[in-house]
Amino acid sequence: MSEVRLLTREIGSLAKPSWRVKTFAGRPLEEADIAEAERWGSRLEVEAHDELVEGLRAGSLSPGQIDDWAAIYAIRLLERVGLDVVYDGEQKRTEMYDHVAAFAHGFEPRGTVRSFDNKYYAKAAVVEAPSVDGPQDVEEFEFVRAHTERAVKVPLTGAYTMEDWSYDEHYAREGALGGSKERRYEARRRFVSDVAAKVILPNVQGLVAAGAEWIQIDEPAATTKPDEVPLVVEGFNEATKGVEAKKSMHICFSDYSALWPHVLELDDCLELQLEFANRDSRELGTSDEARPGYAETLRLFKEHGYPNVGLGVLDIHSDFVEPAELVRDRILYAVEVLGDPERIQVNPDCGLRTRSWDVVYEKLANMVQGTRLAEEALNGAPTSASA
Amino acid sequence: MELKAYAPGIYPRSDALVQATRDLDRGRTTQDAVEQQFERDFREFVTVQEQAGLALLSDGLLHWQDHFRQLAERSDGLDARPLTRFLDTNTFFRAVLVTGKPRLRDPVPAPELPAGRWLATLPAPSSLSQAAGRDASAEALAADVLAPQIEAYSRAGCALVVLTDPFLARSGDVREAVAALAELPRDVPLVLQLPFGDAECMLEGLVEAPVEAIGVDFYSTSLDSVPENYPKEIMAGVIDSRSSALEDPAQTGAFVGELLQRKPAGLSLSVNGDLQFVPEPIAREKIARLGRSQLELEDVA
Repeated sequence: MSEVRLLTREIGSLAKPSWRVKTFAGRPLEEADIAEAERWGSRLEVEAHDELVEGLRAGSLSPGQIDDWAAIYAIRLLERVGLDVVYDGEQKRTEMYDHVAAFAHGFEPRGTVRSFDNKYYAKAAVVEAPSVDGPQDVEEFEFVRAHTERAVKVPLTGAYTMEDWSYDEHYAREGALGGSKERRYEARRRFVSDVAAKVILPNVQGLVAAGAEWIQIDEPAATTKPDEVPLVVEGFNEATKGVEAKKSMHICFSDYSALWPHVLELDDCLELQLEFANRDSRELGTSDEARPGYAETLRLFKEHGYPNVGLGVLDIHSDFVEPAELVRDRILYAVEVLGDPERIQVNPDCGLRTRSWDVVYEKLANMVQGTRLAEEALNGAPTSASA
Repeated sequence: MELKAYAPGIYPRSDALVQATRDLDRGRTTQDAVEQQFERDFREFVTVQEQAGLALLSDGLLHWQDHFRQLAERSDGLDARPLTRFLDTNTFFRAVLVTGKPRLRDPVPAPELPAGRWLATLPAPSSLSQAAGRDASAEALAADVLAPQIEAYSRAGCALVVLTDPFLARSGDVREAVAALAELPRDVPLVLQLPFGDAECMLEGLVEAPVEAIGVDFYSTSLDSVPENYPKEIMAGVIDSRSSALEDPAQTGAFVGELLQRKPAGLSLSVNGDLQFVPEPIAREKIARLGRSQLELEDVA
């Protein structure tokens, strides 16, 4: 049998550098911000980064130029740690929901809602059937494509999450008060279907036409309402219908038991990239007891045989830097459960935007190193799983 | 029939208060400045309710981070746990950790509202138990945490306590919920509200609940679910706290007309849950429309 080789990837977002954040917020840069640009430019060996440093100091760069630099820095970071598949850390996007809601017709901002404590998020309402004038992220993709030799995976917010995180002033407007459960479900289904077909699909088609080979649909809201998982599946299929590219879905911080059997209906979905490390222990080992965050969900993958798994091996909510040996053991455990290393690729639990770049660098570097250790174990001393 | 309207639950923070609390977290303002903004938000919310003509005033629980933490922090034997997703929303609460025998040590102070003209919102015993992972029984929490809190509110002139239970209609035990309610004092009228849940399967079982009214979310519950001649007052959730769409008082009126044909023992109008799920300017307009519906329906009722 051929040697096991596991692909390593990021999931999506990275934190934006302070010089990018402050520029867009209209706040003055401090020397520390410029020093950060210099430090990371040198560390990542970003070509001509002194132009950025000088431009920041002189205040001579446009927001677009600042965005480009942030994207290049992010790409270089992901390359430098050794990932096989990269993107730009979503440096040019506000955040995953607003990025779409602000671009598509049919959404209007409604204001701020509290998430918890003193944390808030912006929310929009759908006021008419959403649509777009053209694909949204082609320019962003082409920029990434032009700045890396690595494989590229494009993350896109999924239709169900757009629906679930929006107010509905259009589809559910009539008959909401005192109406039946079936009526409410149908309104949500129409909303998901329209976002998938009229907002996301044109973007996917445009990206693939521009050369994108891998589309990742992000659905963090997938199991928020467990009885609506079929809508998540419908949204994915509609948004990627007829597209010739690798297609996968990322879900996190959810009840994964609600996904099956519905996800068996996903059309040509390479894998589900899920968060696992957040639920796991930090002990080394490949026993069920050592890997509580993985056991239950991996058995669902094993039992149903579809799709493959994007194995989250880094906790994105912690500065704890997972040792390479811990990453190795998480992978080896997954191989043991699934019985097939070809069903596994390796990634963080989710986007790493809540961590500093210093922490991200160490985490991702260890993820790559741990993956290599797992490959050595699988190739050098075949287990029952890899034999 | 006298038709009253109320707005219990957690009210959203104004943009100014959102900014103040953000600034506080980033070290850009002082706690005193934030408290002053809390006070301005409170006064403004009272004015909004008065202008809408609501029957009783709520303080909007503006200082409450969620429905459980205030009581957990003021009770022996309870503490706050890590974040937990609130139902099927994109918001979170801190679940309750039971560390010993729960007992309210220090009741939440009553709001500065005129005696006899204000309502309080508290978690229903069964929801507090659910938030504590069932590590303390609903009856024990009713007797030793909620009862003394209700007594304290009663002494301060509270005219109505709305007991909110977001879990009961989804995964709760009606018998347990009813038994726990029996542990509560009755010197203030009680309402059991079932926000954001389909009450269809609950209504029959709640007939025996020792409360004056049942709060029903009619954006999750169909009108057909309400039995004819229901023997309890229904506090009808006709304002959708999870939607930015503004209710049309004419449509609300038509719905209430149909509801009245089922001849419940009583009827009041309300929100279907905490208004904090919409931004404050929208919540303010929703309260105005709640009041308008109340006025227009007085003759019908």
